[in-house]
Parts: sequence; C-alpha cells; structure tokens
Amino acid sequence: MTVVSLRDVTREHGEVRALGGVSLDVSAGELVAVMGPSGSGKSTLLNVAGGLDRPTSGTVTIEGEDLAAVKDLAALRRTSVGYVFQDLNLIPSLTAAENVMLPRELDGVRTGRARDEALAVLAEVGAAEVADRFPEELSGGQRQRVAIARALTGERRLLLADEPTGALDTATGDEILQLLRTRCDEGAAVLLVTHEPRYAGWADRVIYLRDGRIVESGAVRMESAR
Amino acid sequence: MSIRHGLLALLSGGPRYGYQLRVEFEASTGATWPLNIGQVYTTLSRLERDGLVAPGGADEQGRAVYTITEAGREELERWFSTPVAQTDRPRDELAIKIAMAVAGDVDVAEVIQTQRVATMRALQELTRAKRAATAGLARRLVLDAQIFKAEAEQRWLDHCEAVSKEKTS
Repeated sequence: MTVVSLRDVTREHGEVRALGGVSLDVSAGELVAVMGPSGSGKSTLLNVAGGLDRPTSGTVTIEGEDLAAVKDLAALRRTSVGYVFQDLNLIPSLTAAENVMLPRELDGVRTGRARDEALAVLAEVGAAEVADRFPEELSGGQRQRVAIARALTGERRLLLADEPTGALDTATGDEILQLLRTRCDEGAAVLLVTHEPRYAGWADRVIYLRDGRIVESGAVRMESAR
Repeated sequence: MSIRHGLLALLSGGPRYGYQLRVEFEASTGATWPLNIGQVYTTLSRLERDGLVAPGGADEQGRAVYTITEAGREELERWFSTPVAQTDRPRDELAIKIAMAVAGDVDVAEVIQTQRVATMRALQELTRAKRAATAGLARRLVLDAQIFKAEAEQRWLDHCEAVSKEKTS
C-alpha cells in the first residue's frame, strides 16, 4: 500500500528550481533512500513529502489525502508523519521522556497516557534508561534515539529522516539504521536522505537526485527482503 | 588473501585435520572467500615443506592431523604484526576504466552512473547479509570490511563526477 505519493512535483524558490518534476511512491514496509550532491534537492524533496513545504506544482498524497486539500497541515504532521533531522534539537529544558511526550500532548493526549507511550517507545529504541535525563546529559547516539522515539510516538506510518546519522560514528549510525529498518519491517514507510552510501545500503530502493530530478531510479530497485 | 596465514592462525588454537580447517576458515570469514579442500591440502603441504606445520599422526577416525610448529608460530606472529601493503593488491580495473573514459570519447557520467548503481546493489546485498548475520563477530567484521570498501568506491565515483563536471563546464 502506498503511504506517500509524489506526482510531477516541482518546487521553486524564486528563480531557483529546487525540484524539477519528481514522481515517487513509498509503500508501507518500504525504506527508500535519497542520494545526491548538495543542492540536488534532497531536503526539499523530504520537506515536500512530509508537508513541511508546499510544492509549486504537482501533488503530494499521504495515505490517500491530497495535501493541497488539507487545511490543518500541522495536525497531519503531528499525527501521520514522524521527522528525524540531523539538527532538529531536542528541547533542552525537557527530559528525554518529556520531549517524546510533547507532540502527543499537543495533540490533546492526557499526560499520563502520553508518558506511558513515551516510555514504551523509548524502550523500543533502546533508550529506556535515559528517559528522565536532559538532552545535555546524553551522548550523540542517545540523543538521536530519543529524537527517533519522538518521531515514532503515536501511530505514525510515514517516517522522514534527513541525515539522521549526522555526526555519529559508523557503529552508532548502523544502530540508528537498524532502528529505522525495524520500524519499516513492522509496516512504516521510511524516506531517508543521506549522503553516506553505507546507510543507503539499508534501503530497499535508492534514488539519485541531480539538479532536482530523479536519475534512473528503476535500475537500483531491489527485490524486497521480506 | 593469505590462506597460508589463515590456516596457521587456526592451527595455533590446536591440532586440526584438513576438512576441519576448511570449515573453520569459512565460518570465521563468513564464507566470503570460499576454499576448496584441494587448496587446503596444497597449502598444508607447502606449510609442511617450509617447516611451519608438522603432521601429527591421525585422529581416532584415521584423519591426518596437523600441528603448528615453533617456526609456524613465529611466522604467524610476524604476519599479525606486519601491515598489508597497498601495492600487494592487483591493478584497479575501475580506476583504469574511468581514466580511459576521461581520456577518450566516452560519456563519463554514464560510465560512473552504471558503476554507481552496481556498487550500490552490492552494498545493499552486503548490508542484508550483515543484518542476517546476528551471530558471529568475525563474520560481521568481514562484511563490514567489504561495506567500507564499497562505500569508498561510491565516494570516489561521486568525486569523479563532481571533478569531471567542473572540467567540462
């Protein structure tokens, strides 16, 4: 089942064309990696796919809903889509658990339930022991685990990750990919932007962007592992 | 790849017979470099000729057992303490191909993209094998070695593309 679908999407920033007509489907249980040189449109693609940015033309559909027709994009972003960014910092004055609870509380979930959910998802990503610590007390890998937990909380079926392995060493980076992969194998659709081939190797499909367009994605498709 | 030293390393853990060496070699390297039994016996007889192993009779089932000698232990120690030289590796066909493409009348970007797709597929397969290899640190590290090499090649291809683009634009 297709979770996110882009059709002939363009995005122009003034004179600059960041995306030049991209079509892409990501299904449930599929991990798609996006590679390309800086300035090729990778992050723009991710932002448009997750409703953080609107396309200049073309359509973006998440779970059958055309984003152009969605009035409250913020609500959709909180409930359907999880984001993991390299630089999306955790809120320093909140503990790990409180950071994870935040989007759920914003969505009206009671504190007690939000905390239970947060602890469950922190345990799932192997960060249960840091639940009551503040971000500055965590290692880089632990912080990224908490950020992923925050992206996973609630029943989100689309996960967008922009260089989630940022400054992490390769062993920790592999652990982060293992987490994303596990989530994917459980049925989430994952779109991963990375410039590191070793992490793209975890994907079912790798697409290359050049100047806002997809180069030959079909050739890199692999049979699904499942 | 040094089968010779691989077998010495296994024999340093105690006497073994030929088939056992083959099985253990493949188990620790994850069958990345499959050995046939003929290679094992040829290597053992050379090691014996060089005084690095000694035939140690037969086990209860009549299989010829080999034991590492003192000279063999010294050789193994020397091997572990010596880095592998870059020049010991064969010529790099891909580098030659790209060099020829750049020098000749060939679409370099096309050659690069074709290779990139193939190398990425290899990386995906290696990663899948690594995910499946839940037991065995040795096997995992051998797969990691191949992943790092494939990644280096991929980065080099990106570099080739960027540099050749600069030159032509």
